[in-house]
Amino acid sequence: MIEISDLQKTYYTGSIAVEALRSVSFNIDKGEFVAIMGASGSGKSTLMNLLGLLDVPTAGTYILNQTEVSALEEKDYARIRNREIGFVFQTFNLLPHLTALHNVELPMLYAGIKPSERRERARLLLEDVGLAERTHHYPNELSGGQNQRVAIARSLANNPAIILADEPTGALDTHTSLEVMDIFQQLNQNGTTIIVVTHEEDIARHAGRILRLSDGLLVTDDKVQQPLNAGAALNSLRKEAGGI
Amino acid sequence: MNIRELMIVAMASIKSSKLRSFLTTLGIVIGIAAVISVVAIGQGGKAMLMQELEKFGTNLFVLYVNYQEGETSRPSDLQMSDITLIKNVVPEVKYMAPVCYTQMKLRGSQGQKSVELLGTNADLIHVNNLEIAQGRFLNEEDESAGRQVIVIQEDTAKELFGSEKPLGQRVVIGSTSSMVVGVLKNDTSVLNDNPRQSAYITMSFMRNMTGWNYIHQIYGSAASKESVSTAMERSKSILERRHNAPGHYEARSMEQEMQSANKILGIIGLVISLIAGISLLVGGIGVMNIMLVSVTERTREIGIRMALGARRQDILIQFLFESIVLCLMGGIIGTILGYGGAYVVAKLAHWPPLVSWSTIIIAFLFSAGVGLFFGLYPANQAARLKPIEALRRE
Repeated sequence: MIEISDLQKTYYTGSIAVEALRSVSFNIDKGEFVAIMGASGSGKSTLMNLLGLLDVPTAGTYILNQTEVSALEEKDYARIRNREIGFVFQTFNLLPHLTALHNVELPMLYAGIKPSERRERARLLLEDVGLAERTHHYPNELSGGQNQRVAIARSLANNPAIILADEPTGALDTHTSLEVMDIFQQLNQNGTTIIVVTHEEDIARHAGRILRLSDGLLVTDDKVQQPLNAGAALNSLRKEAGGI
Repeated sequence: MNIRELMIVAMASIKSSKLRSFLTTLGIVIGIAAVISVVAIGQGGKAMLMQELEKFGTNLFVLYVNYQEGETSRPSDLQMSDITLIKNVVPEVKYMAPVCYTQMKLRGSQGQKSVELLGTNADLIHVNNLEIAQGRFLNEEDESAGRQVIVIQEDTAKELFGSEKPLGQRVVIGSTSSMVVGVLKNDTSVLNDNPRQSAYITMSFMRNMTGWNYIHQIYGSAASKESVSTAMERSKSILERRHNAPGHYEARSMEQEMQSANKILGIIGLVISLIAGISLLVGGIGVMNIMLVSVTERTREIGIRMALGARRQDILIQFLFESIVLCLMGGIIGTILGYGGAYVVAKLAHWPPLVSWSTIIIAFLFSAGVGLFFGLYPANQAARLKPIEALRRE
């Protein structure tokens, strides 16, 4: 599904060149759950932006669904971002003057889906993430966890094959983080490819595979033998709370 | 995105900063209000002016002597026989009336009044569209028999005779006695800047009373609107040949007066429209300025929209539409204010406010055009942003 070889990205700030990604190569198959880890400045966010077609590489090839991405035009990028990739950000990136429902509708708006159909699907998606009662709330009326769930619902709007999540739990507490990872694991079980960038080890351990970056290079690529089960952890947490 | 969705997005953004949106559109509001009111007042005034001029008769023309410097009027310049000749020779001339003016005090049984006394003939009633209230106007026999009769206006009649019936009453002109045979309706035309009332006597009575033999002007009326210039030119050339004085006479028609009035109104309207246009331009620059600020402020929103699949053209159209909606709202408010202003002015000046549909449509298209033109640059700036840079901006 994703084939990357010798991908490089250099930023130029004035006369100084910063090599954010020096040379990274790996493949991700359909249906995988991959965590990308690394310290701050390791290049993991840069890699995420390249994977999400938000930025273009300086060198190297990126093949997405058998298509060489560098051969595409800007409008194709927009289409791929719209249909094939769902983004989840650390700071949610919801539009503050739109309700939860309208935020979820946005990707469908750009896909040209009819308003009635859009509304119905947005409502179902919000229901799936447990926000059926919050459809007409604005982001500032929702908690961080609720906002991230709206963002996840939004990322699923056009049924993308890949979910790209950049530090999705970075702004959330442990319990809410588990809820988010639980949603990702369920989606993954249904066949969606999930790529999560994180610097938290226990978040990464929910994935089936962990890529570690350091100084713009891929240092390890490990399979997780026994991924953590967010759903089970949540259940035991709930039991504890009930016991008290 | 269809227009309805664009509208929702634009309105949401405009509503999110109400005061700023209002101040931004103020320039457009003032510009459009100025254009609408100027056009409405101008068109209303013009309509009224034309209506008034038409009351005098569009077939009207005036013959007068073109005095050179140092020249004084001579009784021989314009003569009664000239009028008789012209009426006989020129078929395009239907009516022709001599006019000789003077100021006189009239005395009646109940009071007195200074009037402008006109010596003329029976044709004047047709030429000037005078309206009879009581009795009759002067006729041919009054002239030939040298009758000492007078036709006065309603207000004069009231002052001279109070509530008594004016017909058949005696009026003393200076020291000469005369009889009222007719009363004319007051002249209500706004073009009449003469505060005095007029009174009419025959040329022969005027001559007998004052000893003058002058005709100051000759009023003519052509058979039709089309024949005015022929009637005018032929009358003038007869006068020139008869008096052997080329260039000594001038003629003007009501048509020409209307045309020059039209021209002046047109120039005034153009100048004011130009000023209003400049205010629209300034308003447009204000809109551009605020749209640029808006693009900068909403860079992150643009980044998010791009990440979710918005194409550059989607962003371009979104901001362009917002700018157009902003200007159109200004246009609507401006049209209402402008019409209101025109209505008040028209009420005060007693003429109809005329706002044609075409004016409103042009004002709308113009404000949308301003939005389009001045929104293009900011919208393009927004659309050219790179998604990742836009997303990183706080």
